[in-house]
Amino acid sequence: MPQDAAARVYVYGVLSGSDQAAVSVGGVEKAEVRTVEHAGLAALVSSLEADALAAAREVRAHWRVLEEASKSATVLPVRFGTVLDGDAAVREQLLEPNAERLAQLLGELHGRVQLNVKGEYDEERLLREVVGASPAVATLRDRVQSVSETAGYYDRIRLGELVAAEIARHQEQDAALALARLEPLAVTASVEQPSSPNAAFGLAFLVDGGEVDAFSEAVGRLRQELGERVALRYVGPLPPYSFAEADLSAGAAAWA
Amino acid sequence: MAALARSGGGYLERPASSGLADVIDVILDKGLVIDAYVRVSLIGIEILTIDARIVIASVDTYLRFAEAVNRLDLQQADDSQGLPELMESMTEGGAKSKSKGALEGVKDAVTGGGDDDDDDDKQKSSSSRRRSSSSGSSSSRSRSRKSS
Repeated sequence: MPQDAAARVYVYGVLSGSDQAAVSVGGVEKAEVRTVEHAGLAALVSSLEADALAAAREVRAHWRVLEEASKSATVLPVRFGTVLDGDAAVREQLLEPNAERLAQLLGELHGRVQLNVKGEYDEERLLREVVGASPAVATLRDRVQSVSETAGYYDRIRLGELVAAEIARHQEQDAALALARLEPLAVTASVEQPSSPNAAFGLAFLVDGGEVDAFSEAVGRLRQELGERVALRYVGPLPPYSFAEADLSAGAAAWA
Repeated sequence: MAALARSGGGYLERPASSGLADVIDVILDKGLVIDAYVRVSLIGIEILTIDARIVIASVDTYLRFAEAVNRLDLQQADDSQGLPELMESMTEGGAKSKSKGALEGVKDAVTGGGDDDDDDDKQKSSSSRRRSSSSGSSSSRSRSRKSS
């Protein structure tokens, strides 16, 4: 296994030394994925020869490795594009100085998976609802429609402002509803930054392996409760990205 | 499976396996950050833009479709051969990057690799300018992720 021990290595993630992560897909640059073990931990790595990586392609390779490894083990994902100066550096700079923190994270996450639940509005439907439910919006809309575009300039802005506020209110309510229904079945939850303009909410949950079925049923009930107003996207299991954030820097300024 | 038996009339809810589109932001913005790592001349600049992320996600979708279609094949199709070949042709930009640098690889992927070769020089100089001017902001952006 200690092939190319001196070459640089690309790092995908860290798992417990007692876990087996079988990875058959090729890694970055199609290199074979292997582990570097130390202090009861194992780093998932592949040797790297190039000085430059084609990011668009390799981000996919990176994800494929983590996705596959996560099927059989709890893997702490490492930030995309992380390269260390050889197997020894993996032991000395990553595993050794952070052994306690990594083991603690792995302990907390063991047997648990991340499941993401995203809600998306159908924009037209949402807007109809907003106009129907808010007399202020409806009145302003009628006024704006009856005058020319220039004359109604400030009314238009005001209208847009009101609509945006109404949408924000919907988002808040729907996120709260989803959390109320799902959080009791999860170990913990994390509210993610909504990534699309029509997003109702983006939530990440850490769920015990044995609770996944119960959680999925709750997602099904939430889907019915939200009806056609909100389209749910339910994906996973993912490596515990939202629950394994840690800065393993020795000095805080080192990354800038 | 209790859930299966009980799903009277309804369908059984299951998490979908995630495509890159679901996780691209997470992959690029989250994960353990390790001090003292070697910076391979990378990456990390164009890939942070929303447009590039969308393109990367759709390429992933296409590749997954291609894989699925390959698996469908009625004769004993050799999908271990089909996919790499497909990837080669879809990522010609990546191969070129050996001589042109990773950023060109990204750019090719983003623009669909349709650029004519005769304006290579122009592209190269403009992209290396971009690299030096935006490398600082990429670090600070990575830094400023929210902690949960």
